[in-house]
Amino acid sequence: MAALSVCGVTRRGLTWIVLGAPRRGFWSRFRKEKKPVVAETVEEVKKEPVLVCPPLRSRTYIPPEDLQSRVESCVKEIFGSSVPSNWQDVSLEDGHLKFGLLARLADDLGHAVPNSRLHQMCRVRDVVDFYNVPIYDRSKFDELIASNLPPNLKITWGY
Amino acid sequence: MLQLGLNALAEEAVPQAAKPESVASAGPQVPVLRRCELPVPAPRRPVQAWVESLRGYEQERVGLAELHPEVFSTAPRLDILHQVAIWQKNFKRISYAKTKTRAEVQGGGRKPWPQKGSGRSRHGSIRSPIWRGGGIAHGPRGPTSYYYMLPMKVRVRGLKVALTVKLAQDDLHVVDSLELPTSDPQYLTELARYRRWGDSVLLVDLAHENMPQNVIAAVSGLKTFNLIPAVGLNAYSMLKHQTLVLTLQTIAFLEEKLLWHDSRYTPLYPFRLPYRDFP
Repeated sequence: MAALSVCGVTRRGLTWIVLGAPRRGFWSRFRKEKKPVVAETVEEVKKEPVLVCPPLRSRTYIPPEDLQSRVESCVKEIFGSSVPSNWQDVSLEDGHLKFGLLARLADDLGHAVPNSRLHQMCRVRDVVDFYNVPIYDRSKFDELIASNLPPNLKITWGY
Repeated sequence: MLQLGLNALAEEAVPQAAKPESVASAGPQVPVLRRCELPVPAPRRPVQAWVESLRGYEQERVGLAELHPEVFSTAPRLDILHQVAIWQKNFKRISYAKTKTRAEVQGGGRKPWPQKGSGRSRHGSIRSPIWRGGGIAHGPRGPTSYYYMLPMKVRVRGLKVALTVKLAQDDLHVVDSLELPTSDPQYLTELARYRRWGDSVLLVDLAHENMPQNVIAAVSGLKTFNLIPAVGLNAYSMLKHQTLVLTLQTIAFLEEKLLWHDSRYTPLYPFRLPYRDFP
């Protein structure tokens, strides 16, 4: 290696002798230029789907006052205009109609029928009775504290 | 779907504004309805569950699935469930505890002092259980196996009762398929938190081969979320995890396998030996 480099230097002082170490330095410049271009395109492709979790919903449900009219209008939309006057007795046997009505009401009121009680919803009357029941997110202790207690009963919930 | 594809090919700027609108107004999409394939006996009617989707946070009501009442709404036999869970815990147990009896402890063959005359109490060997350093009279003896098998129908009933209990307590969720938009474990945990599933979730797919890669990657990074094939469903795991998530294919598989035992003949030889017409 030393002998060859000495020969190169003695021939002409300007030219490089293309040997192992200087050759690597020559080509590495090209490699460094190419790499960042490829990385940028790959990152752009991966950044497209952005999933943001929506804020947590509370489990509290208070039935609105116009519940009957809301349910009646949903029933008329889903079942069409061919709804008899006793719309509460309409049966929900058909899967499409049942799904349509229950999904519509759930999106509307923010409260869905749980899986364990879906099979109990046979008629629209059952759905109305379900949505008439309010649901609170408080624990039993919070309810006790909020209710009227006799003066000699104190509840300390210091956890 | 075809229109979206053509728009994507034609222009690049417009469909990025059109796609979220079409996804947001997904009202008139066809609901996924599943009916029971196996016949339901007359007085009983199928139980139902919402079909959800894991592709988006808000896709909680994609369809309605009917579940066979004999599998998902049997009598809640907690005693059978307890039997099966304890059996699962104990039948694999081999306790390796062993102690030495007076015959195995080293030494103690000679009478330590004569029977009469020395004033001390009479003894025959220095390794009897009364002595310090002597053998143990009634200790654990060698590897003991606690293997026992419950009848096949009891184990099957245990699975049915576990599924019933999960559905009755609102801990069962039906999903159309286990496809996720990302393989990020964070997405799964946030989804479970948003839908209030619970701390531990058991995901059940049909077979090992066709599981989507995103779910496998996401679940392998989580400790409390576990993914198993349908063949691996068991009562102990169902009780251990707070929530159970089944796919539609898994439900069909489970109903078929669990209901077959109700109306089968008693085997002439064990089922593990080859049968010509075994389903």
